[in-house]
Amino acid sequence: MPLPFILMMCLLGIGIAMFRRSPQAFLDGPSEDMPTRLLRWAAGLLSAQRAEWGQAMLGELDHLDGRAKRWRFAVGCVGAALLLPPWGRAAAGVWAMIAVAAASVGLYASVAIRYGLGVGSWVAAAILVVFLVGYLLAASALLRRPGVAIPGLLGGLCVVLAWLTLSGFTFYEQITPDIMHWHRLVMMTAVPLAVGAAGTLWSRDPVIGRRVARLAAISAGLGLYLYGTLAVAVLGAGGPPEDNGWTVRYIVDDRLGNNLVDLLLTTLVIATVGWAGAAAAARLRRGSPAPPLPGPLIPPASPDPQQEV
Amino acid sequence: MQRNRPPSAQTIRVLHALAADPAQWRYGYDLATEVRLKSGSLYPILVRLADRGLLETSWEPGVGSRPPRHLYRLTPTGREFVAALTAARVDRTVPHPRRHWNEA
Repeated sequence: MPLPFILMMCLLGIGIAMFRRSPQAFLDGPSEDMPTRLLRWAAGLLSAQRAEWGQAMLGELDHLDGRAKRWRFAVGCVGAALLLPPWGRAAAGVWAMIAVAAASVGLYASVAIRYGLGVGSWVAAAILVVFLVGYLLAASALLRRPGVAIPGLLGGLCVVLAWLTLSGFTFYEQITPDIMHWHRLVMMTAVPLAVGAAGTLWSRDPVIGRRVARLAAISAGLGLYLYGTLAVAVLGAGGPPEDNGWTVRYIVDDRLGNNLVDLLLTTLVIATVGWAGAAAAARLRRGSPAPPLPGPLIPPASPDPQQEV
Repeated sequence: MQRNRPPSAQTIRVLHALAADPAQWRYGYDLATEVRLKSGSLYPILVRLADRGLLETSWEPGVGSRPPRHLYRLTPTGREFVAALTAARVDRTVPHPRRHWNEA
């Protein structure tokens, strides 16, 4: 399937999902300004015991005037909210993903040094690091959401295991995939769809289901990228197809580049299909009532704060 | 386990700002402006002080559609902590007799 078609379908799917979530907001634009929306998002990452502090930051931001002042305040608070402990189980998940990303970069660098790759490969390495940092930031935000960490990481593991099982746990298949159509259908569609649906059914909440699908996509993308880079490190220019006429350096460079494209593409496809699975599962189980979501923390009203302790 | 590291210079600035008028409730942004700290540094400090029982918090009810605003002031323990901190600082700044002799 041509790459632009897949990308176009994914972007179209994301657009439709955003429209369906809130048609009015999609057409009219957001009702709150960007600093408030950014800070509201970050405040949602705080643990239950710190939720009060998120509300405190939002309350303070509401009393600030001036675009620059609001931006400065909101960005500082977002940084604080992202790092404020406790992280609980999320810390273990973040460290595991950092380890996978660091191992991938280390392997890439070792291959580049071993085969004496040119400047272009190091530029690609810099781009890779930027993407991996983005992946880790997105994953750390998702991991901090309640009920997302374990199903999301398990979902990612399922996708990776399905992928590797269908490719026969070989490095050759990872580098030069020559797989049957139904294998591709299972790897790219059935398993991510099942992960998204399972996330919704497990949590009984489509919002958590969609987050589970996104975290599964990020963790699976990182895992598959590590495996692909390991494959290049082990095989180098070896294995099929017989690229007569190409230099070893060119083949290795090409394979590393393909892995980088695969990292982005597989993550996007798995996330989009998983998102669709989560939404479909929510629609199917719409008949049964979902438990109420915890609402925003409403601080106790007091006419005279000076008298409160 | 609670760590008992000495407070950072930024934390000391926040504590002194709060201790200037201990009975008065303060807003987060005003406090940040006074001690010249960014919000990203101020709020973690306030959280730590509250966790250690040195800071008490309250909510000022929102007016109209505005959300409530968080207020801060030192607890009695916090005031004692600042007093002890100031005393220790004064103690350190008193010139040592021996050093005085060497300098002379």
